[in-house]
Amino acid sequence: MRTPRILFWLVTVSLLLGPLAAAAQQAGTPPEAKDKAQVEAAAAPAAPAQEAKPSPAPPAAKKPAAKAEVKRTEPIVPAYTGIKEKTAVIVFFVWLWFAIGVLIYFLRQWIKESDRIYWAKYYEPEESPRKDNPMAPTLGD
Amino acid sequence: MKIKIDMKKFAAWFDDRLALTPIFKYMTHKEVPQHEHSFWYYTGSSILLFLAIQIVTGIMLALYYRPTLEGATASIERIMTELPLGWLVRSVHSWGATFMIAFVLVHLLAIWFTKSYRKPREATWMTGMMLLVVSMMFGFTGYLLPWDDLSLAATKVGTNIPAAIPVVGKWVTQFLRGGDDVTGDTLTRFFIFHVCVMPLILFAILAIHVLLVQKEGMSIPLKDELAKKKVPSLPFWPNFVLREVVIWLVLFGVFMTIALAFAPSLGPTADLMAPAPEGVKPEWYFLFLFQTLKIFPANMGPVTGEFVAVIIIVITVVIIFFLPFIDNKPEGKKGKVFQYLGIIGVIYAIVFSIWSLL
Repeated sequence: MRTPRILFWLVTVSLLLGPLAAAAQQAGTPPEAKDKAQVEAAAAPAAPAQEAKPSPAPPAAKKPAAKAEVKRTEPIVPAYTGIKEKTAVIVFFVWLWFAIGVLIYFLRQWIKESDRIYWAKYYEPEESPRKDNPMAPTLGD
Repeated sequence: MKIKIDMKKFAAWFDDRLALTPIFKYMTHKEVPQHEHSFWYYTGSSILLFLAIQIVTGIMLALYYRPTLEGATASIERIMTELPLGWLVRSVHSWGATFMIAFVLVHLLAIWFTKSYRKPREATWMTGMMLLVVSMMFGFTGYLLPWDDLSLAATKVGTNIPAAIPVVGKWVTQFLRGGDDVTGDTLTRFFIFHVCVMPLILFAILAIHVLLVQKEGMSIPLKDELAKKKVPSLPFWPNFVLREVVIWLVLFGVFMTIALAFAPSLGPTADLMAPAPEGVKPEWYFLFLFQTLKIFPANMGPVTGEFVAVIIIVITVVIIFFLPFIDNKPEGKKGKVFQYLGIIGVIYAIVFSIWSLL
Protein backbone atom coordinates (compact mmCIF):
# COMPACT_ATOMS: atom_id res chain seq x y z
CA MET A 1 0.00 0.00 0.00
CA ARG A 2 2.73 2.40 1.02
CA THR A 3 4.93 1.86 -2.07
CA PRO A 4 2.31 2.72 -4.72
CA ARG A 5 1.25 5.74 -2.69
CA ILE A 6 4.80 7.08 -2.50
CA LEU A 7 5.25 6.36 -6.21
CA PHE A 8 1.97 8.14 -6.94
CA TRP A 9 3.05 11.32 -5.17
CA LEU A 10 6.54 11.18 -6.69
CA VAL A 11 5.10 10.88 -10.19
CA THR A 12 2.46 13.54 -9.51
CA VAL A 13 4.95 16.04 -8.16
CA SER A 14 7.47 15.47 -10.93
CA LEU A 15 4.84 15.56 -13.65
CA LEU A 16 3.43 18.79 -12.28
CA LEU A 17 6.67 20.56 -11.47
CA GLY A 18 8.49 19.69 -14.69
CA PRO A 19 6.21 21.52 -17.11
CA LEU A 20 5.57 24.28 -14.60
CA ALA A 21 9.29 24.99 -14.42
CA ALA A 22 9.51 24.89 -18.21
CA ALA A 23 6.52 27.25 -18.50
CA ALA A 24 8.05 29.64 -15.97
CA GLN A 25 11.29 29.64 -17.94
CA GLN A 26 9.40 30.25 -21.16
CA ALA A 27 7.40 33.09 -19.59
CA GLY A 28 10.58 34.69 -18.28
CA THR A 29 12.17 35.00 -21.70
CA PRO A 30 10.92 37.88 -23.80
CA PRO A 31 9.08 36.85 -26.94
CA GLU A 32 11.41 36.60 -29.85
CA ALA A 33 11.18 38.91 -32.79
CA LYS A 34 9.12 36.27 -34.43
CA ASP A 35 6.74 36.06 -37.33
CA LYS A 36 6.33 39.79 -37.63
CA ALA A 37 4.68 39.26 -40.95
CA GLN A 38 2.09 36.96 -39.39
CA VAL A 39 1.30 39.43 -36.63
CA GLU A 40 1.17 42.22 -39.18
CA ALA A 41 -1.15 40.37 -41.50
CA ALA A 42 -3.43 39.40 -38.66
CA ALA A 43 -3.40 42.80 -37.02
CA ALA A 44 -4.30 45.23 -39.78
CA PRO A 45 -3.37 45.21 -43.42
CA ALA A 46 -4.27 48.86 -43.69
CA ALA A 47 -2.68 49.87 -40.43
CA PRO A 48 1.09 50.10 -40.57
CA ALA A 49 1.06 51.90 -37.22
CA GLN A 50 0.34 48.59 -35.46
CA GLU A 51 3.40 46.87 -36.88
CA ALA A 52 5.84 48.07 -34.28
CA LYS A 53 5.43 45.93 -31.18
CA PRO A 54 8.98 45.38 -30.02
CA SER A 55 8.39 45.56 -26.28
CA PRO A 56 6.75 42.62 -24.51
CA ALA A 57 4.85 45.03 -22.26
CA PRO A 58 4.02 48.31 -23.96
CA PRO A 59 2.39 50.77 -21.53
CA ALA A 60 -1.13 51.49 -22.72
CA ALA A 61 -1.33 55.04 -21.43
CA LYS A 62 1.73 56.22 -23.33
CA LYS A 63 0.49 55.04 -26.74
CA PRO A 64 -0.50 57.84 -29.07
CA ALA A 65 -4.26 58.25 -29.37
CA ALA A 66 -4.22 57.98 -33.16
CA LYS A 67 -2.74 54.51 -32.96
CA ALA A 68 -5.50 53.23 -30.71
CA GLU A 69 -8.21 54.52 -33.00
CA VAL A 70 -7.16 52.32 -35.91
CA LYS A 71 -9.91 49.76 -36.46
CA ARG A 72 -9.00 46.21 -37.33
CA THR A 73 -11.40 44.81 -39.90
CA GLU A 74 -9.94 41.32 -40.31
CA PRO A 75 -10.45 38.60 -37.68
CA ILE A 76 -7.44 37.21 -35.85
CA VAL A 77 -7.13 33.46 -36.11
CA PRO A 78 -5.13 31.84 -33.30
CA ALA A 79 -1.85 30.48 -34.56
CA TYR A 80 1.52 29.36 -33.27
CA THR A 81 3.94 32.27 -33.04
CA GLY A 82 6.83 30.11 -34.17
CA ILE A 83 8.24 26.62 -34.43
CA LYS A 84 9.36 26.79 -30.80
CA GLU A 85 5.82 27.36 -29.57
CA LYS A 86 4.42 24.71 -31.90
CA THR A 87 6.92 22.14 -30.61
CA ALA A 88 6.18 23.17 -27.02
CA VAL A 89 2.46 22.67 -27.54
CA ILE A 90 2.89 19.25 -29.18
CA VAL A 91 5.24 18.13 -26.39
CA PHE A 92 2.80 19.44 -23.81
CA PHE A 93 -0.08 17.61 -25.46
CA VAL A 94 1.79 14.28 -25.54
CA TRP A 95 3.02 14.81 -21.97
CA LEU A 96 -0.50 15.63 -20.80
CA TRP A 97 -2.02 12.36 -22.00
CA PHE A 98 1.01 10.36 -20.88
CA ALA A 99 0.76 11.94 -17.40
CA ILE A 100 -2.97 11.26 -17.27
CA GLY A 101 -2.38 7.61 -18.22
CA VAL A 102 0.34 7.13 -15.60
CA LEU A 103 -1.66 8.87 -12.87
CA ILE A 104 -4.78 6.85 -13.64
CA TYR A 105 -2.74 3.64 -13.44
CA PHE A 106 -1.50 4.54 -9.94
CA LEU A 107 -4.91 5.82 -8.89
CA ARG A 108 -6.49 2.51 -9.89
CA GLN A 109 -4.04 0.66 -7.65
CA TRP A 110 -4.84 3.00 -4.82
CA ILE A 111 -8.62 2.67 -5.35
CA LYS A 112 -8.40 -1.13 -5.44
CA GLU A 113 -6.41 -1.15 -2.22
CA SER A 114 -8.73 1.34 -0.50
CA ASP A 115 -11.80 -0.67 -1.52
CA ARG A 116 -10.22 -3.93 -0.37
CA ILE A 117 -9.44 -2.43 3.02
CA TYR A 118 -12.90 -0.96 3.31
CA TRP A 119 -14.82 -4.10 2.36
CA ALA A 120 -12.59 -6.16 4.65
CA LYS A 121 -13.71 -3.75 7.42
CA TYR A 122 -10.09 -3.28 8.27
CA TYR A 123 -10.67 -0.08 10.22
CA GLU A 124 -13.64 -1.35 12.19
CA PRO A 125 -12.29 -3.00 15.33
CA GLU A 126 -15.47 -5.01 15.99
CA GLU A 127 -15.46 -6.75 12.62
CA SER A 128 -11.83 -6.39 11.74
CA PRO A 129 -10.21 -9.40 10.03
CA ARG A 130 -7.45 -9.02 12.61
CA LYS A 131 -9.87 -10.14 15.26
CA ASP A 132 -10.04 -13.66 13.84
CA ASN A 133 -6.86 -13.71 11.87
CA PRO A 134 -3.70 -13.32 13.92
CA MET A 135 -1.62 -13.24 10.70
CA ALA A 136 -3.36 -10.12 9.36
CA PRO A 137 -1.17 -6.99 9.30
CA THR A 138 -1.60 -4.39 12.00
CA LEU A 139 -2.32 -0.74 11.24
CA GLY A 140 1.27 0.22 11.93
CA ASP A 141 2.67 -2.01 9.14
CA MET B 1 23.46 26.14 14.00
CA LYS B 2 20.81 23.55 13.40
CA ILE B 3 17.19 24.53 13.64
CA LYS B 4 14.98 21.62 14.49
CA ILE B 5 11.36 21.97 13.50
CA ASP B 6 8.93 19.83 15.39
CA MET B 7 6.29 19.14 12.76
CA LYS B 8 3.89 17.67 15.30
CA LYS B 9 3.96 20.85 17.37
CA PHE B 10 3.60 22.90 14.21
CA ALA B 11 0.54 20.89 13.14
CA ALA B 12 -0.91 21.06 16.65
CA TRP B 13 -0.56 24.85 16.64
CA PHE B 14 -2.59 25.11 13.44
CA ASP B 15 -5.12 22.56 14.64
CA ASP B 16 -5.59 24.53 17.86
CA ARG B 17 -6.42 27.70 15.98
CA LEU B 18 -8.24 26.40 12.91
CA ALA B 19 -9.89 23.31 14.44
CA LEU B 20 -8.89 21.10 11.52
CA THR B 21 -9.29 17.75 13.29
CA PRO B 22 -13.11 17.77 13.22
CA ILE B 23 -13.00 18.56 9.48
CA PHE B 24 -10.61 15.68 8.77
CA LYS B 25 -12.66 13.41 11.00
CA TYR B 26 -15.79 14.39 9.11
CA MET B 27 -14.09 13.70 5.77
CA THR B 28 -13.01 10.23 6.84
CA HIS B 29 -16.40 9.36 8.32
CA LYS B 30 -18.52 10.80 5.52
CA GLU B 31 -20.07 8.11 3.33
CA VAL B 32 -21.26 8.30 -0.26
CA PRO B 33 -24.15 5.99 -1.27
CA GLN B 34 -23.48 3.59 -4.13
CA HIS B 35 -26.37 2.81 -6.50
CA GLU B 36 -27.27 2.89 -10.19
CA HIS B 37 -27.34 6.74 -10.26
CA SER B 38 -24.11 7.28 -8.29
CA PHE B 39 -22.35 8.41 -11.47
CA TRP B 40 -24.24 11.71 -11.38
CA TYR B 41 -22.56 12.61 -8.08
CA TYR B 42 -19.37 13.26 -10.05
CA THR B 43 -20.95 16.07 -12.10
CA GLY B 44 -20.99 18.34 -9.03
CA SER B 45 -17.28 18.08 -8.33
CA SER B 46 -16.47 18.40 -12.05
CA ILE B 47 -18.03 21.88 -11.96
CA LEU B 48 -15.53 22.81 -9.26
CA LEU B 49 -12.70 21.60 -11.50
CA PHE B 50 -13.79 23.93 -14.29
CA LEU B 51 -14.37 26.75 -11.84
CA ALA B 52 -10.75 26.39 -10.68
CA ILE B 53 -9.57 26.45 -14.32
CA GLN B 54 -11.64 29.60 -14.92
CA ILE B 55 -10.16 31.35 -11.90
CA VAL B 56 -6.55 30.55 -12.86
CA THR B 57 -6.89 31.43 -16.56
CA GLY B 58 -9.09 34.44 -15.73
CA ILE B 59 -6.37 35.90 -13.50
CA MET B 60 -3.78 35.26 -16.23
CA LEU B 61 -5.90 37.09 -18.81
CA ALA B 62 -6.74 39.93 -16.42
CA LEU B 63 -3.02 40.68 -16.05
CA TYR B 64 -2.94 41.88 -19.67
CA TYR B 65 -6.55 42.82 -20.44
CA ARG B 66 -7.54 46.50 -20.56
CA PRO B 67 -11.27 47.22 -20.10
CA THR B 68 -11.41 50.38 -22.18
CA LEU B 69 -12.89 51.20 -25.55
CA GLU B 70 -9.45 51.69 -27.07
CA GLY B 71 -7.59 48.97 -25.18
CA ALA B 72 -9.97 46.00 -25.01
CA THR B 73 -9.61 44.46 -28.45
CA ALA B 74 -5.98 45.57 -28.74
CA SER B 75 -5.09 43.82 -25.48
CA ILE B 76 -6.82 40.60 -26.56
CA GLU B 77 -5.01 40.87 -29.88
CA ARG B 78 -1.75 41.21 -27.98
CA ILE B 79 -2.58 38.24 -25.75
CA MET B 80 -3.27 36.16 -28.86
CA THR B 81 -0.35 37.18 -31.02
CA GLU B 82 2.49 38.34 -28.78
CA LEU B 83 2.35 36.66 -25.39
CA PRO B 84 3.74 33.10 -25.17
CA LEU B 85 0.79 30.70 -25.43
CA GLY B 86 -1.62 33.57 -24.84
CA TRP B 87 -4.02 32.22 -27.46
CA LEU B 88 -4.08 28.91 -25.57
CA VAL B 89 -4.83 30.58 -22.22
CA ARG B 90 -7.69 32.48 -23.87
CA SER B 91 -8.94 29.30 -25.51
CA VAL B 92 -8.83 27.42 -22.18
CA HIS B 93 -10.80 30.25 -20.52
CA SER B 94 -13.36 30.35 -23.32
CA TRP B 95 -13.84 26.57 -23.42
CA GLY B 96 -13.77 26.44 -19.61
CA ALA B 97 -16.89 28.60 -19.54
CA THR B 98 -18.61 26.27 -22.00
CA PHE B 99 -17.67 23.14 -20.04
CA MET B 100 -18.61 24.69 -16.72
CA ILE B 101 -22.08 25.75 -17.83
CA ALA B 102 -22.62 22.42 -19.61
CA PHE B 103 -21.79 20.55 -16.41
CA VAL B 104 -23.99 22.85 -14.32
CA LEU B 105 -26.88 22.04 -16.68
CA VAL B 106 -26.16 18.30 -16.62
CA HIS B 107 -25.91 18.41 -12.81
CA LEU B 108 -29.22 20.27 -12.59
CA LEU B 109 -30.95 17.80 -14.92
CA ALA B 110 -29.54 14.85 -12.97
CA ILE B 111 -30.98 16.31 -9.76
CA TRP B 112 -34.28 16.99 -11.54
CA PHE B 113 -34.69 13.47 -12.96
CA THR B 114 -33.55 11.67 -9.81
CA LYS B 115 -35.80 14.04 -7.80
CA SER B 116 -33.00 14.71 -5.37
CA TYR B 117 -34.48 18.15 -4.64
CA ARG B 118 -37.14 16.55 -2.44
CA LYS B 119 -37.30 17.26 1.27
CA PRO B 120 -34.94 18.10 3.03
CA ARG B 121 -32.84 19.37 0.07
CA GLU B 122 -35.05 22.23 -1.16
CA ALA B 123 -32.54 24.91 -0.22
CA THR B 124 -29.72 22.98 -1.94
CA TRP B 125 -31.76 23.02 -5.16
CA MET B 126 -32.53 26.74 -4.84
CA THR B 127 -28.89 27.68 -4.26
CA GLY B 128 -27.98 25.44 -7.20
CA MET B 129 -30.42 27.34 -9.41
CA MET B 130 -28.87 30.60 -8.27
CA LEU B 131 -25.45 29.23 -9.20
CA LEU B 132 -26.75 28.36 -12.69
CA VAL B 133 -28.00 31.93 -13.17
CA VAL B 134 -24.71 33.36 -11.86
CA SER B 135 -22.71 31.07 -14.19
CA MET B 136 -24.79 32.25 -17.15
CA MET B 137 -24.27 35.86 -16.09
CA PHE B 138 -20.53 35.17 -16.01
CA GLY B 139 -20.82 33.97 -19.60
CA PHE B 140 -22.92 36.95 -20.63
CA THR B 141 -20.60 39.56 -19.10
CA GLY B 142 -17.49 37.80 -20.38
CA TYR B 143 -18.82 37.62 -23.95
CA LEU B 144 -18.56 41.39 -24.42
CA LEU B 145 -14.99 41.73 -23.12
CA PRO B 146 -13.14 40.95 -26.41
CA TRP B 147 -15.08 43.93 -27.85
CA ASP B 148 -15.40 42.54 -31.36
CA ASP B 149 -18.33 43.16 -33.70
CA LEU B 150 -20.27 40.02 -32.74
CA SER B 151 -19.91 40.51 -29.00
CA LEU B 152 -21.07 44.11 -29.28
CA ALA B 153 -24.13 43.19 -31.33
CA ALA B 154 -25.03 40.25 -29.05
CA THR B 155 -24.71 42.44 -25.96
CA LYS B 156 -26.94 45.09 -27.55
CA VAL B 157 -29.61 42.43 -28.09
CA GLY B 158 -29.09 40.85 -24.67
CA THR B 159 -29.20 44.06 -22.65
CA ASN B 160 -32.29 45.19 -24.54
CA ILE B 161 -34.35 42.18 -23.39
CA PRO B 162 -35.05 43.45 -19.83
CA ALA B 163 -36.43 46.67 -21.35
CA ALA B 164 -39.60 44.72 -22.20
CA ILE B 165 -40.39 44.27 -18.50
CA PRO B 166 -42.84 46.94 -17.32
CA VAL B 167 -41.87 49.56 -14.72
CA VAL B 168 -38.31 48.42 -13.94
CA GLY B 169 -37.28 47.11 -17.37
CA LYS B 170 -35.86 50.31 -18.82
CA TRP B 171 -34.00 51.04 -15.62
CA VAL B 172 -32.42 47.54 -15.64
CA THR B 173 -31.26 48.03 -19.24
CA GLN B 174 -29.80 51.44 -18.40
CA PHE B 175 -28.11 50.00 -15.33
CA LEU B 176 -26.56 47.16 -17.35
CA ARG B 177 -25.39 49.46 -20.13
CA GLY B 178 -24.35 52.40 -18.02
CA GLY B 179 -26.47 54.61 -20.27
CA ASP B 180 -28.96 54.38 -23.09
CA ASP B 181 -26.70 52.46 -25.43
CA VAL B 182 -23.82 49.97 -25.28
CA THR B 183 -20.65 52.06 -25.03
CA GLY B 184 -17.23 52.02 -23.42
CA ASP B 185 -18.96 52.47 -20.07
CA THR B 186 -20.80 49.18 -20.64
CA LEU B 187 -17.48 47.46 -21.29
CA THR B 188 -15.95 48.75 -18.05
CA ARG B 189 -19.13 47.88 -16.18
CA PHE B 190 -19.23 44.34 -17.57
CA PHE B 191 -15.57 43.85 -16.70
CA ILE B 192 -16.22 44.89 -13.09
CA PHE B 193 -19.27 42.58 -12.94
CA HIS B 194 -17.20 39.75 -14.46
CA VAL B 195 -14.14 39.99 -12.21
CA CYS B 196 -15.46 41.53 -8.98
CA VAL B 197 -19.21 41.37 -8.46
CA MET B 198 -20.04 37.97 -9.93
CA PRO B 199 -17.15 36.12 -8.19
CA LEU B 200 -18.25 37.52 -4.82
CA ILE B 201 -21.84 36.42 -5.41
CA LEU B 202 -20.71 33.05 -6.75
CA PHE B 203 -18.45 32.24 -3.80
CA ALA B 204 -21.09 33.29 -1.26
CA ILE B 205 -23.78 31.07 -2.83
CA LEU B 206 -21.32 28.24 -3.51
CA ALA B 207 -20.26 28.20 0.15
CA ILE B 208 -23.91 27.83 1.24
CA HIS B 209 -24.55 25.19 -1.45
CA VAL B 210 -21.54 23.07 -0.45
CA LEU B 211 -22.40 23.47 3.23
CA LEU B 212 -25.95 22.25 2.56
CA VAL B 213 -24.65 19.28 0.55
CA GLN B 214 -22.42 18.35 3.50
CA LYS B 215 -25.21 18.86 6.01
CA GLU B 216 -27.83 16.77 4.23
CA GLY B 217 -25.45 14.28 2.61
CA MET B 218 -25.94 12.72 -0.82
CA SER B 219 -29.47 11.69 -1.69
CA ILE B 220 -30.38 8.10 -2.48
CA PRO B 221 -32.80 7.01 -5.26
CA LEU B 222 -36.45 7.72 -4.49
CA LYS B 223 -37.52 4.07 -4.81
CA ASP B 224 -34.87 2.96 -2.30
CA GLU B 225 -35.95 5.68 0.09
CA LEU B 226 -39.59 4.66 -0.16
CA ALA B 227 -38.72 0.98 0.32
CA LYS B 228 -36.49 2.00 3.27
CA LYS B 229 -33.75 -0.06 1.68
CA LYS B 230 -30.25 0.22 3.09
CA VAL B 231 -28.06 1.43 0.23
CA PRO B 232 -24.41 0.38 0.32
CA SER B 233 -21.94 3.23 0.61
CA LEU B 234 -18.27 4.09 0.19
CA PRO B 235 -16.13 6.34 2.40
CA PHE B 236 -15.74 9.83 0.96
CA TRP B 237 -12.02 9.67 1.69
CA PRO B 238 -10.15 8.05 0.06
CA ASN B 239 -12.44 5.75 -1.98
CA PHE B 240 -14.79 8.34 -3.49
CA VAL B 241 -12.27 11.17 -3.83
CA LEU B 242 -9.84 8.93 -5.73
CA ARG B 243 -12.59 8.00 -8.19
CA GLU B 244 -13.35 11.68 -8.60
CA VAL B 245 -9.70 12.41 -9.38
CA VAL B 246 -9.76 9.78 -12.17
CA ILE B 247 -12.80 11.49 -13.71
CA TRP B 248 -11.18 14.92 -13.36
CA LEU B 249 -8.04 13.72 -15.12
CA VAL B 250 -9.96 12.28 -18.07
CA LEU B 251 -12.14 15.39 -18.28
CA PHE B 252 -9.11 17.64 -18.10
CA GLY B 253 -7.44 15.72 -20.94
CA VAL B 254 -10.51 15.93 -23.17
CA PHE B 255 -10.98 19.59 -22.28
CA MET B 256 -7.37 20.54 -23.07
CA THR B 257 -7.50 18.62 -26.36
CA ILE B 258 -10.59 20.57 -27.42
CA ALA B 259 -9.10 23.89 -26.23
CA LEU B 260 -5.94 23.18 -28.27
CA ALA B 261 -7.73 22.03 -31.39
CA PHE B 262 -10.51 24.63 -31.49
CA ALA B 263 -9.07 27.87 -30.15
CA PRO B 264 -11.49 30.78 -30.64
CA SER B 265 -10.61 33.59 -33.02
CA LEU B 266 -11.09 37.30 -32.46
CA GLY B 267 -13.51 39.12 -34.74
CA PRO B 268 -13.05 42.59 -36.23
CA THR B 269 -12.95 45.46 -33.75
CA ALA B 270 -16.40 46.58 -32.64
CA ASP B 271 -17.65 49.74 -34.28
CA LEU B 272 -20.30 51.59 -32.32
CA MET B 273 -21.54 53.39 -35.42
CA ALA B 274 -21.64 50.36 -37.72
CA PRO B 275 -24.84 48.34 -38.29
CA ALA B 276 -25.08 44.95 -36.60
CA PRO B 277 -23.28 42.24 -38.59
CA GLU B 278 -25.23 39.37 -40.06
CA GLY B 279 -25.70 36.18 -38.08
CA VAL B 280 -25.49 37.67 -34.60
CA LYS B 281 -25.82 34.81 -32.12
CA PRO B 282 -25.43 34.67 -28.38
CA GLU B 283 -23.46 31.92 -26.60
CA TRP B 284 -24.87 28.39 -27.10
CA TYR B 285 -26.62 28.32 -23.71
CA PHE B 286 -28.71 31.36 -24.62
CA LEU B 287 -29.64 30.13 -28.10
CA PHE B 288 -33.00 28.59 -27.18
CA LEU B 289 -34.03 31.75 -25.32
CA PHE B 290 -32.92 33.83 -28.30
CA GLN B 291 -35.03 31.70 -30.64
CA THR B 292 -37.99 31.85 -28.24
CA LEU B 293 -37.89 35.64 -28.37
CA LYS B 294 -37.70 35.53 -32.16
CA ILE B 295 -40.82 33.42 -32.71
CA PHE B 296 -43.09 35.87 -30.92
CA PRO B 297 -44.77 38.45 -33.19
CA ALA B 298 -43.95 42.13 -32.75
CA ASN B 299 -47.35 42.94 -31.22
CA MET B 300 -49.81 40.77 -29.33
CA GLY B 301 -52.84 42.91 -28.69
CA PRO B 302 -52.08 45.75 -26.31
CA VAL B 303 -48.57 44.47 -25.46
CA THR B 304 -45.46 43.62 -27.44
CA GLY B 305 -44.53 40.03 -28.27
CA GLU B 306 -41.20 40.49 -26.55
CA PHE B 307 -42.98 41.41 -23.33
CA VAL B 308 -45.08 38.21 -23.45
CA ALA B 309 -41.96 36.11 -24.16
CA VAL B 310 -40.02 37.70 -21.29
CA ILE B 311 -42.93 37.19 -18.88
CA ILE B 312 -43.22 33.50 -19.90
CA ILE B 313 -39.46 32.99 -19.43
CA VAL B 314 -39.50 34.71 -16.01
CA ILE B 315 -42.49 32.63 -14.83
CA THR B 316 -40.77 29.42 -16.02
CA VAL B 317 -37.58 30.31 -14.13
CA VAL B 318 -39.57 31.09 -10.97
CA ILE B 319 -41.43 27.75 -11.24
CA ILE B 320 -38.15 25.87 -11.66
CA PHE B 321 -36.66 27.78 -8.72
CA PHE B 322 -39.51 26.73 -6.43
CA LEU B 323 -39.80 23.24 -7.95
CA PRO B 324 -39.18 21.34 -4.67
CA PHE B 325 -42.22 23.05 -3.14
CA ILE B 326 -44.44 22.62 -6.21
CA ASP B 327 -43.44 18.99 -6.79
CA ASN B 328 -43.84 18.15 -3.10
CA LYS B 329 -45.03 14.59 -3.70
CA PRO B 330 -42.41 13.28 -6.14
CA GLU B 331 -43.55 9.66 -5.77
CA GLY B 332 -47.09 10.47 -6.93
CA LYS B 333 -48.73 11.54 -10.21
CA LYS B 334 -47.52 15.11 -9.78
CA GLY B 335 -43.97 13.85 -9.65
CA LYS B 336 -44.42 12.02 -12.95
CA VAL B 337 -45.87 15.16 -14.56
CA PHE B 338 -42.76 17.12 -13.61
CA GLN B 339 -40.58 14.28 -14.89
CA TYR B 340 -42.27 14.55 -18.31
CA LEU B 341 -42.13 18.35 -18.19
CA GLY B 342 -38.39 18.08 -17.65
CA ILE B 343 -38.01 15.83 -20.70
CA ILE B 344 -40.15 18.21 -22.79
CA GLY B 345 -38.02 21.13 -21.58
CA VAL B 346 -34.79 19.43 -22.64
CA ILE B 347 -36.21 18.55 -26.08
CA TYR B 348 -37.49 22.12 -26.45
CA ALA B 349 -34.08 23.61 -25.58
CA ILE B 350 -32.25 21.31 -28.00
CA VAL B 351 -34.70 21.83 -30.88
CA PHE B 352 -34.81 25.62 -30.45
CA SER B 353 -31.03 25.86 -30.14
CA ILE B 354 -30.58 23.94 -33.40
CA TRP B 355 -33.32 26.00 -35.06
CA SER B 356 -31.60 29.25 -34.16
CA LEU B 357 -28.38 28.01 -35.78
CA LEU B 358 -30.09 27.17 -39.09
